[in-house]
Amino acid sequence: MKNSLKNTLFTMAFAASLAQVALPSFAATSVKATVNGMVCAFCAQGIEKRISKMSAAKAVFVDLKKKTVAVEAKDGQTLDQKAITAEITDAGYDVVKLETVEKSVAEIKAELKGGK
Amino acid sequence: MTWRIGKVLVAAVLGVLASLPAYSGPMGFKDSWMAMGDFGPNWKEAFANYALTPRDAVGASALSMRSDDGLRNRQLLEATYTRLLQRWNMPESQANIWFLGGLGTLTGNDFAGSKTLVSPGIQVDYETTRVYASALARLYRAEGINHDFLSARVGFSFYEVDYDEVQPWLIVEARRMKGLSDKTEITPMLRLIHNRYFVELGVNNSSQVRANFMYIF
Repeated sequence: MKNSLKNTLFTMAFAASLAQVALPSFAATSVKATVNGMVCAFCAQGIEKRISKMSAAKAVFVDLKKKTVAVEAKDGQTLDQKAITAEITDAGYDVVKLETVEKSVAEIKAELKGGK
Repeated sequence: MTWRIGKVLVAAVLGVLASLPAYSGPMGFKDSWMAMGDFGPNWKEAFANYALTPRDAVGASALSMRSDDGLRNRQLLEATYTRLLQRWNMPESQANIWFLGGLGTLTGNDFAGSKTLVSPGIQVDYETTRVYASALARLYRAEGINHDFLSARVGFSFYEVDYDEVQPWLIVEARRMKGLSDKTEITPMLRLIHNRYFVELGVNNSSQVRANFMYIF
C-alpha cells in the first residue's frame, strides 16, 4: 500500500516534469501599431485580412477608436515589424508608431476597452 | 469640350471645398475584389473591380439608365480603371481624391446600333468615424450623347462602434444627370456597415426606393 502510493506519486511527478518539457509556456508577444486614417470598419478590414495571412500571426485585433492594430505572434515565432508596416500600408493606411509588447491580443483588447 | 470638362471638374472640387461633402472608396485594398451595386428604377448599376496595387484597380461595369418618363433608356457596358490619386491619412480622419475612368459601348432605344462611350470622373471624400462627405463628377460622353453626372453625399453615424459591430449612418445624397432627367434626385439613406458588408437603403424625392451595396472579397 505504502509502495503503491509512493509509485503513484513518483509517476505523477515524472509525468508533470515530462509535460513541462513537452509543453513549454511562452509569454505572449504582440506588435502594437498606431495607425492613421483608420476610420471605417469596411475600409479597415483589409488590415485584418492581410495580417491574418502572415505565417507568424496568431491573432489580430483592430480598434478604430484607439487607432490601434495589435498582432500576436504564434508561440515561438517572431513577428516581422517591417512586414506588418508593409501590410498596413498596402491596405491603405499609415503606421505612425510600432512597439513590441509582452502581452497577448486578448490582454491588449481588455486594456483598450477598459480605457474607454 | 475641354472647357466643359474643366468646368465640371472645377465645380466638383469647389463643391467639396464648400461643403466637405459617393461611396466610401471605389476600390478595396491591394489584391482584393470589390463588388458594388446601385439600384433604383431609373439607375441600375453593377460594378466589380480588382485592386492590382494599393492605388490601382481594374474592373467592369454594367449600367442601365432610364429617363424620368420611362420612355428612353440606355445600356452601358464598360471596362473601368480606378486610381487613388491622393490620400491623406490623419489621426482622426481620412481624405481621398480618386480618378474613375471607363470605356465601353452604349446602346439605347432611341438610336440604332451602339456607340463608344468614355466616362472619366473625379471623386473626393472626407471621413471620420462619425462624419462622411463626398462628391463625384463624372462625364458620360459618346457621339451625340451627354449624360454627365454629379453627386454629393453628406452624412453622420449615430454613434461610434467597435470594429466588429454594426454601424448605422444617415446619408443624404443629391445627384443630377444630363440628358435623361431634369430633376435633382435627393435620397436620404440608412447606411449599415459591418466589416466587409456595406448596405444603403433609401427613398428618393420621387418616392422611389433605392438600394446600394458594396462587398470586398
